[in-house]
Amino acid sequence: MGVGGSGFQKRRRSCGPAGVRGGNGCHGMRLPRMDETSSQNQLAGSGSPAGVANRQNLEEPNQRIQYSIPGILHFIQHEWARFEMERSQWELERAELQAKIAFLNGERKGQENLKNDLVRRIKMLEYALKQERAKYHKLKYGTELVQGDMNPPVEEGGEEVRVDPDAILSTNTNVSWKQSRHLLRQYLQEIGYTDTIIDLRSNRVRSLLGISSGENEENHNSTPAVNGSDTTKRQPDPNRWNVSKKPQSTLEAQIRDAEKAVMENFDFLRSEGMEMDEDDDEEDAEEEEDVHGLKSPKVAKTLDVDDVDGEPVELDHEFPFLPDVEDNPPGVMGFGPARRGYGGPGGEDDALVEGLGELAQLTVNNEADASYDISSTKENFRKTWTAKYTLRSHFDGVRALCFHPQEPTLITASEDATLKLWNLQKTVPAKKSASLDVEPVYTFRGHLGPVLCLAMSGDGEKCYSGGIDGTIRIWNIPSSNIDPYDSYEPSVVAGSLSGHTDAVWGLTFNPQRQHLISCAADSTVRLWSADTRSPLLYTYSVERDGIPTSVDFVYESSNQFVCSFNTANCVIFDLETGKPVMRLDTEPDQGSNSISRQINRVVSHPTLPLTITGHEDRHIRFWDNNSGRLVQSMVAHLDSVTSLAVDPNGLYLLSGSHDCSIRLWQLDSKQCVQEITAHRKKFDESIFDVAFHPSKPYIASAGADALAKVFV
Amino acid sequence: MPYWPLSGQVTLGLRWQQHGEYSQHPEYQNFYRWCDEAYEEMDSTLVVQQYIQQTIRLDHNNIDTILNAPETQDEGVWKYEHLRQFCMELNGLAVRLQGECQPSTCTQMTATEQWIFLCAAHKTPKECPAIDYTRHTLDGAACLLNSNKYFPSRVSIKESSVAKLGSVCRRVYRIFSHAYFHHRQIFDEFETETTLCRRFTVFVTKYNLMSRDNLIVPILEDESAGHGESEA
Repeated sequence: MGVGGSGFQKRRRSCGPAGVRGGNGCHGMRLPRMDETSSQNQLAGSGSPAGVANRQNLEEPNQRIQYSIPGILHFIQHEWARFEMERSQWELERAELQAKIAFLNGERKGQENLKNDLVRRIKMLEYALKQERAKYHKLKYGTELVQGDMNPPVEEGGEEVRVDPDAILSTNTNVSWKQSRHLLRQYLQEIGYTDTIIDLRSNRVRSLLGISSGENEENHNSTPAVNGSDTTKRQPDPNRWNVSKKPQSTLEAQIRDAEKAVMENFDFLRSEGMEMDEDDDEEDAEEEEDVHGLKSPKVAKTLDVDDVDGEPVELDHEFPFLPDVEDNPPGVMGFGPARRGYGGPGGEDDALVEGLGELAQLTVNNEADASYDISSTKENFRKTWTAKYTLRSHFDGVRALCFHPQEPTLITASEDATLKLWNLQKTVPAKKSASLDVEPVYTFRGHLGPVLCLAMSGDGEKCYSGGIDGTIRIWNIPSSNIDPYDSYEPSVVAGSLSGHTDAVWGLTFNPQRQHLISCAADSTVRLWSADTRSPLLYTYSVERDGIPTSVDFVYESSNQFVCSFNTANCVIFDLETGKPVMRLDTEPDQGSNSISRQINRVVSHPTLPLTITGHEDRHIRFWDNNSGRLVQSMVAHLDSVTSLAVDPNGLYLLSGSHDCSIRLWQLDSKQCVQEITAHRKKFDESIFDVAFHPSKPYIASAGADALAKVFV
Repeated sequence: MPYWPLSGQVTLGLRWQQHGEYSQHPEYQNFYRWCDEAYEEMDSTLVVQQYIQQTIRLDHNNIDTILNAPETQDEGVWKYEHLRQFCMELNGLAVRLQGECQPSTCTQMTATEQWIFLCAAHKTPKECPAIDYTRHTLDGAACLLNSNKYFPSRVSIKESSVAKLGSVCRRVYRIFSHAYFHHRQIFDEFETETTLCRRFTVFVTKYNLMSRDNLIVPILEDESAGHGESEA
């Protein structure tokens, strides 16, 4: 209990960034931002009116004159936003606490079951002991018949029936067998035959001890029918009866016979004892399994404290309830993150209590299995992604990743200035975990600073990486079966594309056109040809809109690209003329700070005229390319949305966020179908990139914790 | 997040300006431009790496500060994270060597004439050319330091795994020594830029990860007086 409790708490601390941290305000990341804007607003609001007041000779020294309507509005808006944020944080915390309560309730129930079971076993043992004592008494003193002896079985039977419904499933078969035995015993007792049997036995003992009595023979003869039924139950009995039926000629024979019978009786006693033992052992084993089952999730959790892996267990539970919550009217959507992320407060309790049963069966501390088990029991028809491969070899945050178009291989790019090639078919079996570790088959060295973005050519022969130093490097991808410790092959380095003068942040390859497009902090977007001698085709200067953060081709229309900016602008340009074709209507609707709405990633739908943007303000927004209008805006994460990917068929959207989770969305309904907590935070950043495999069922996430994970 | 949109010229987030605490790193002025946090206030599980990188960014020449562990810090984790950082930064040296250190000219991994180093990345240690030795050693170190078997957690590390750090240090150090004795220009450029070899030498000396005899690059003042032979 204690272990589980503390593990849970620790987990909570590590996984609840917004809820826990927002409160202390020292984080410098969020709240200060608000404070700044507020102070600005207040300054702006109060400054000019103050000037006016001065000119008016301070006619009204009253304080009210210090405020202007816009200033007040700003202030109120700011306060409102702050309250809303706090509210959502509280809600989050509340949901977490509720989850905890439910969890502890479930645990208590489990413990009760366990207790009942143990009580039952104690009673059984007591009964067995009493029986043994009775027999011992009978053997020793002959005459002594302990009548109270027979009460326990009745009690026990009653107890048994009472306990059974609560009893843990796995003991069921055992229990039903025992039940029938007790039932039988009860019948016998009702008929009164058990007493005769006991009498009979005691008489035999007596005869053994030399105190013979003739009347017993009658009893002996009158019991076979009962014996018959009895023997079916107790194996050692038949011999005894068979043997004892034969003799009856002389006293000696009788005594000899009785002696034999008693010996067998001893056997019977012994074997019954053993039977009991075995019973208990069986039950022991089963119970141990149960205990194990109940405890292991806790163990798993504590193990996972420093390993994010544990968290999805909790999160995935709540998933099935999300769609319901999401049916809320759009007005409610704005405050959705807390609720959506953690499930509705109402359904929560049941969910977790119910979940515990499944949790109890978990013995592997792997979040993947957990989510799989749970969702498979709940909804078999839905594909659930589970973490299968962990790609560990980078020394610092993985900024970008990209899959090979056909093969199960991928390349990751990291802040440690290297790129690594991974072959998912070359795995290292990892101990005590169902996920596999992969070691890189090749390390690309060439960048001298963090690598920020990555793109692969349509044939999977080449890849392009953009670095903070402003260079784009071209690599010939070696075979995925290369020996990682082969000798250095300089031909892997296929040159570089120079032009950008500042960090390259976005890179996308268009296989149809064989073009590469890049955007950089020097406020230019450049179009490159994949295989000509003078690769730079066009430089688009876009400083008017801000600093570009991400760029993508518009697939639905063949000669456009879309670029997003730190100013929250998002513009579709014509590739040929470089002129803006459509400016998406991203004007802030509530006068909020534009930096908070900064777009971190823009992706274009593969078939529809739809542009999707991931924002610093936790939203994902959908835009119609033709009208430039906002189609839908939703709070998608608990922290800034950093990365987006659309699956090749255009049905699902994958998003990654600094809240440590990746979420899978159904594009038609915009519903979240799965959330996976995948990475840990470093410098308050968590997930940098997500990707779909273009042709195989893989998704991947890249994190600031220097890991990449592949889900199947 | 703080890093967007990162640039040398463009001023970035108001946030950082107003906090008035800039990273002094010459190259990527805006990249990691968020205010520094006190070690105690970092609550991430990757706190040690964060802290080390932060102090390096503040001033990479200030080796004592960089190597000075916070009081409550577990020494095994401290050494481990520093070694990760070294291997990561050594990539810069490897990239530079990649251009100049040819398998045809540096056919073996050597520093002084005394030893030929065999590459331990293979089943049977092998006489790899220097550039391959460099790459294999860094790749092997990356695999070992990220191994789920030896270093499953970055929060606590088994004593037996901490013992592995020494051999990584020894191998990795040979890259410095090879560069120093055979590609002096590259070494000097790199050292001016990063002070990495000096920091590494202080590090392994401080934590006793390598024997002094193996530290053949005369990088520390007091040592260079004692070992004049290598200045030639």
